[in-house]
Amino acid sequence: MQIGFQGNTKNAVFDPDPRAKFAMLLAVNIIMISGGSVGVEYALRIICAVLPLVLLLSIRNYRTALIYFILLGAAVYCEGMVLPHTHGVAGILLMIPCGILTRFMTGYMMCWYTVRSTSVSEFVTAMDKMHVPYFLTIPMSVMFRYFPTLGEEYRSIHDAMKMREIGQSVKNPFTYIEYVLVPIMMSTVRIADELSAASLTKGLSAGSRRTHICRIRLNALDILMIAGSFVMIVLFFIY
Amino acid sequence: MIEFQNVDFAYTSVNAEGKTIHENGISGLDLSIRDGEFVVLTGGSGCGKTTITRLINGLIPHYYSGELHGSITIDGKSVPDTPIYETAKRVGSVFQNPRSQFFNVNTTDEIAFAAENQCREPVEISKAITETAASMHIEKLLDRSIFELSGGEKQIIACAGVSVLSPDIIVLDEPSSNLDSGAIEKLKIILSDWKSQGKTIVIAEHRLYFLRELADRLLILKDGRIVRELNASQIKALTFADTEQIGIRPLSLLDIRYSYGRASGRNETLTLESFIFTYKDGKHGINIPKLELPSGGVIAIIGHNGAGKSTLARNICGLEHKCKGVMKLGGKALKAKDRLKQCYMIMQDVNHQLFTESVRDEVMLSMTDKLLTDEQKVQKADEILKSLDLLEYADTHPMALSGGQKQRTAIASGIASSKPVIIFDEPTSGLDLAHMKQVAGEILKLRDMGKTVIIVTHDLEFILSCCDHIVRLEQGQVVEDHALDKDTCNRLQKFFCK
Repeated sequence: MQIGFQGNTKNAVFDPDPRAKFAMLLAVNIIMISGGSVGVEYALRIICAVLPLVLLLSIRNYRTALIYFILLGAAVYCEGMVLPHTHGVAGILLMIPCGILTRFMTGYMMCWYTVRSTSVSEFVTAMDKMHVPYFLTIPMSVMFRYFPTLGEEYRSIHDAMKMREIGQSVKNPFTYIEYVLVPIMMSTVRIADELSAASLTKGLSAGSRRTHICRIRLNALDILMIAGSFVMIVLFFIY
Repeated sequence: MIEFQNVDFAYTSVNAEGKTIHENGISGLDLSIRDGEFVVLTGGSGCGKTTITRLINGLIPHYYSGELHGSITIDGKSVPDTPIYETAKRVGSVFQNPRSQFFNVNTTDEIAFAAENQCREPVEISKAITETAASMHIEKLLDRSIFELSGGEKQIIACAGVSVLSPDIIVLDEPSSNLDSGAIEKLKIILSDWKSQGKTIVIAEHRLYFLRELADRLLILKDGRIVRELNASQIKALTFADTEQIGIRPLSLLDIRYSYGRASGRNETLTLESFIFTYKDGKHGINIPKLELPSGGVIAIIGHNGAGKSTLARNICGLEHKCKGVMKLGGKALKAKDRLKQCYMIMQDVNHQLFTESVRDEVMLSMTDKLLTDEQKVQKADEILKSLDLLEYADTHPMALSGGQKQRTAIASGIASSKPVIIFDEPTSGLDLAHMKQVAGEILKLRDMGKTVIIVTHDLEFILSCCDHIVRLEQGQVVEDHALDKDTCNRLQKFFCK
């Protein structure tokens, strides 16, 4: 699985402005973490739960959408139908994973969608338009860009471990973690160092302004999404 | 005009004991580079050629710290006293490692990145990108994820980013290290375009053959000083014997003499059967119904980027468990899972395969034989380390070693594992002549121990100094498979020179 600012939206049905994505991300996370299941709050939670599903389908990520739907559906079903009939340890064992899934999974999927569907330059441009200073934007964008690299590094290290017949056994998890972390940290430091040097020679500096070839504009749908997100947050706090 | 006047520089770093040390810089450098000149810097590792490129683009002293004396000016303006983003407007840079020089994930965004930082108008940038892409024939590479591109394609994107800005001066730090002969050919075309546009080019390189026609001046450095300076006609007159004597890589691949002539002594074979494997994308993979290789030989796997060389190496190692292929060695038929226990790969980036806190532990980690006592293991490890000139570093942390020493540590672990097949993935990328020869020597040692050595490589000179069998892949299939001798040597040179 690839994560990080891939920005692969060529096949997307619609491509919201990053600012609209941030607004929805905020609304979904605030509303889902509270576990209320009555009245207006319940209605808001249903809307928020459906949102990432629609968005994932819009970037044609069918598999992830399906997994999300099944997991969340199962968790909600358990909470509503199975939990009331269980007691003691079994009840707690079931309640914890269900609670975690219903509260956090939607927010996580929303994050995943945002990172998946936004390119580095869209992110930087959007942050710039919201007047977020570069000293925050640049480290964040490098961090997200770094995830796929981290994946590549991990795969190489894992191969090396397989060849040396070490680490497959779970006998000593600490040794395993040490063997994975040491090379990853060494190469992380090296790549970060080289990346910083390259960025500097390309004239990146936190102090000065820069232009963007990436065009992002709020259209009617984006404004609707942002307004909707804020209305939901306000409603949530009132009730 | 770039001018160095009596420049001294030493990197400041902290050694293993926590003391501050100064090392590996340049001393007493006087050099002036005219506008439009094409200057090549070469010399052994640590000779100071990279340092000179960093002094021009301002990374020294603005990013790499150390002690700097003397003056470096571009058209009379002092580089150390100019902020690095100002210097960036005049000087474009291309680096060695294609993996770590991109800020963006999308290629078009990356090409635009430097221009955006200089506040050029977005409309102008987009126009410049379209023009650059057309002149470099890279329209197909636009708007892609850099994680889908090969090393050569990434390096071309880096060049395109420089072209869009069209700076007067371009410095390149070992740009060909990770490229195959086809990609080097493309790099050569880009360089000659830049030269014809009148740009000043300073390039630090080990591999020199593609620069023969382009270079106006070749500077050979040693221990931070220029020891020899050659002009264009002197460069063209350099023969293979001259470059060997100076200790640099040859200026023409056709000159290289075949120095290694021992035919494989044993007649046993290592047979690969039905090595058929496709990656998830459905496009890349290998399709090798049967391949017989001399067991106990040194086999070079060659071919262009994307031909399936690394895929074949991974499959031989047994790293792709979906591969149904069988390797027959010494009367045994080995499936992927068994091959993991018989093969050992020295990766291109050896940092990925060093896990422990000392070189000796690293070697002992590979000894899985439970019958050995710890004392026997230490003794055996020290013997192996001695044979690879590593004994004095036995207690050093592997990460504190130089690149070549790390690679030798990995080789030592391979020997300790007593696996019969050792695979190398691009062991000489970015190596100077002396280190390349050292690796060739180590490979011959492995061969003398009776190991079968399989090497994925782009380096013709290296192949001619230690390999005895050639397998060439194209689109995942074996198109050539023959022993290397005087007759087949010409054919090989033609493949690399075309």
